Amino acid sequence: MASYLLKRILWMMPLLLGISLISFFIMHLAPGDITTSEASFNPKASEESRQKLRALYNLDKPVIVQYGLWVKRLAKLDFGTSFASHQRPVFWQTTDKDGNVTLGMIQEALPITLLINVLSLLLIIGIALPLGVISALKQNQWPDRGITMFVFLGFAIPGFWLALMLMYWTGVQHSWLPISGLESMGHENLTWPAQIWDTLQHLVLPVFISAITGLAGISLFVRNGMLDVLHQDYITTARAKGLNENKIIYGHALRNALLPLITIFGLSIPGLIGGSVIAESIFAIPGMGKLFYDAVLMRDFPVIMGILTIGAILTMLGNLLADVSYAWADPRVRRGAM
Amino acid sequence: MLMPTQITRHIQLWLIVFGICLMSACSNGEDAAKKLKSNFDAPHPTSPGGTMIDAMTGEPSGLIAMIAGESAASAIAGNIFNSLLKYDKNLDLTGELAQSWEVSADQRTITFHLKPNLKWADQRPLSSADVLFTWQKVTDDNTRTPYGSDFKLVSKAEAPDAQTFRVTYAVPYAPALDTWAGLHILPKHLLQDQDINNTAFARHPVGSHYYKLSDWKNGQYLKLSRNPYASQGQANIEHLLSRIIPDKAAQFLELSADNIDSMALNPIQYARIFPSRPDLSNNIGLYKELGNSYSYMGFNLKRKPFDDVRVRQAINYAIDKQEIIDGVLLGLGEPVASPYKPGTRWSNPKLKPYPYDPNKARTLLREAGFADTNGDGILEKDGKPFSFEILTNQNKEREMTAVLIQRRLKEVGIEVNIRVLEWASFLGRFIKPKQFDAVVLGWSLSLDPDQYGIWHSSQQAPGQFNFISYSNPQADKLLEAGRIELNPDKRMKIYHAFSKILLEDSPVIYLSAGYGLSAIHKRVKGISSPAPAAGIGHNTYEWFIPKAYYRNEMNDQ
Repeated sequence: MASYLLKRILWMMPLLLGISLISFFIMHLAPGDITTSEASFNPKASEESRQKLRALYNLDKPVIVQYGLWVKRLAKLDFGTSFASHQRPVFWQTTDKDGNVTLGMIQEALPITLLINVLSLLLIIGIALPLGVISALKQNQWPDRGITMFVFLGFAIPGFWLALMLMYWTGVQHSWLPISGLESMGHENLTWPAQIWDTLQHLVLPVFISAITGLAGISLFVRNGMLDVLHQDYITTARAKGLNENKIIYGHALRNALLPLITIFGLSIPGLIGGSVIAESIFAIPGMGKLFYDAVLMRDFPVIMGILTIGAILTMLGNLLADVSYAWADPRVRRGAM
Repeated sequence: MLMPTQITRHIQLWLIVFGICLMSACSNGEDAAKKLKSNFDAPHPTSPGGTMIDAMTGEPSGLIAMIAGESAASAIAGNIFNSLLKYDKNLDLTGELAQSWEVSADQRTITFHLKPNLKWADQRPLSSADVLFTWQKVTDDNTRTPYGSDFKLVSKAEAPDAQTFRVTYAVPYAPALDTWAGLHILPKHLLQDQDINNTAFARHPVGSHYYKLSDWKNGQYLKLSRNPYASQGQANIEHLLSRIIPDKAAQFLELSADNIDSMALNPIQYARIFPSRPDLSNNIGLYKELGNSYSYMGFNLKRKPFDDVRVRQAINYAIDKQEIIDGVLLGLGEPVASPYKPGTRWSNPKLKPYPYDPNKARTLLREAGFADTNGDGILEKDGKPFSFEILTNQNKEREMTAVLIQRRLKEVGIEVNIRVLEWASFLGRFIKPKQFDAVVLGWSLSLDPDQYGIWHSSQQAPGQFNFISYSNPQADKLLEAGRIELNPDKRMKIYHAFSKILLEDSPVIYLSAGYGLSAIHKRVKGISSPAPAAGIGHNTYEWFIPKAYYRNEMNDQ
């Protein structure tokens, strides 16, 4: 097992290098750089000054040289500093000689996005599992149809529209929930239970919106997985030998139906760090989606590369985790693979 | 299968659930109470204190404006830092840190005399050494600023004593005073041994203006508090809080729920939503003012047939500008006839925009040799149909404008295609190599009338701003004269003459100048309306919030 893991992790290195190389070149295929944003199209900013900026950021060098410089820094685990955000470190905080700490951009955005996505994933699982099981047990009866209709409605409704409607209803018509942001004004003066309560209130809508769109996929997955398993011979056998129906469904069928979900969750790990641009913009949440979107618009290359690299690493780790969990959960895989 | 009775039973059930939701929605007493206390029109004496909350779509990257560059940064930094000069409410230059200034007889040397006893927010004295230091930084080749070129024209800068700052230009430079009104003076004692490009100072600024930064939560808000040592006296409002809310619709919801006091509106919010919501107008005041920008259609003058002035004029006559203002800006804009803000001294009041006159357009096109020879409704010249492409970037208003132009030009027999592009490729693949027929764009202008960079024939190289390749020796001469003439009255005549030539040549078609639209809660008093030339924001330090109108959660401050 240990040697298998080591092998897998070592293989990640060349893979990561390849991914970063391709990302770097694709990023540079898009025209423009930090000096050509719409805001800098201003007669007060002269072309000579822009050339000077380009030279200071090494943007005048060939792409392959720029890539070499980037890899050289990355080898020291340095993701560099942002072009657009006044040299803020891309990944982790730095301390200057006077002891001023500047927080990293990903360091700040990642926990927020992670929190929202993990909560919404838990919510999805909590709702989708029972819905999927009910659908499968009542296949083609009204609960099944009703649930399918409901989850597809959630999938089909534009998230931004639903978000705005809910914000209007719960925030403007009634002061039930805060409209946007992560904290109320004066948050830092509250006691810590009140702070948690305040943050939770702010998280209700963003988590709900991101969960409602993800419900359809998982609940249908559980439903179909259950249906497959329920038609297996061993379920018929279990029924034939007179096992309790609850034990058949929850002890035998569901456990086997959940196996493919491991893959889905493994694959959703990179998704956990990628926030939704639209939801984050509407709810004014400074998460990863907004960070990446702004970086692309500004051609803020170090930030783009930082997010892509960390995303690639997490995707690979997610795959590894999924494979390992498979081996743990399914004896057939364990015997075959190792 | 679902039985009909089952269906009805379940519909009933859902209706009941839905109804309960609705009922609980209607019986909310808090809202009614909130609406009762809404008489904000009573007179109140000026009083200091309170917090004003506004919303902005973007976050500043830092608060050293020369490096940050974006509008969010300038807006916040403008409350923290002073310049030597400023524009007063009539858009005339007046002293800010400088008490007075003199221009030498040869117009090359400007001497600024600082006000006495100026202090930084950390109580250290502010002197001409700080001004000199700021000039050295903005012209330093290692400083990552795009705004250095204006200041590099200074051949000698000196600070003979603590109150005096003197700059000498190699040749007289008329926009000089304007550039000094735009440069925030930075404290030497905090920055001299720092790398200005990545100093922590950008996030912990110390300035000399009305406010100092007291809190900055990344991605959430910036909070400013009054600076007790402010160089210009004390502002009334104690705290300015700027929340970062990227989405305009979300900003509007926050405004409706009375969580923020002010925001910039778009025309739909201003002209459609507000009139239909009297409950909002009760609490919120609307303001409009002419901005410093206009939109235009510019031709590539190097391409046929746009090198022919008759064709450009014909197109100008064929476009209905009022239709664009009404359709795109919902009437919230004005037609313009020169590249200067209407109502300011630089704008020539005698000039009138080209009227909408399709017949005159047809006549001019006929004179230029265009005729519909094959009867397909499109004009031809030398066997080639008159068809061209309008380029614009991803901007809803510009796209809509292009569509209106397309229709009007079709009526006079010109076929127009529209292409919409992302900004960087628009600039890199079409504007720089001059691969375009016409563009719909906008210019935001400084308050100085010098537009040498946009119109002078020497400014046509790739990356420079005369990308339409406008070239007229007479206009060149006036632009050169305006750049070295520091006397405002003589300068005014020069730019009036220049605007006249520009209008006749029609290298660009002025489409409209849109209003800046803002909504401000009525708890904020002291706003001058109608806005003077400088806009409603010219006297924010005089605004105040009467104690009775403070927000509850702000009482502890």
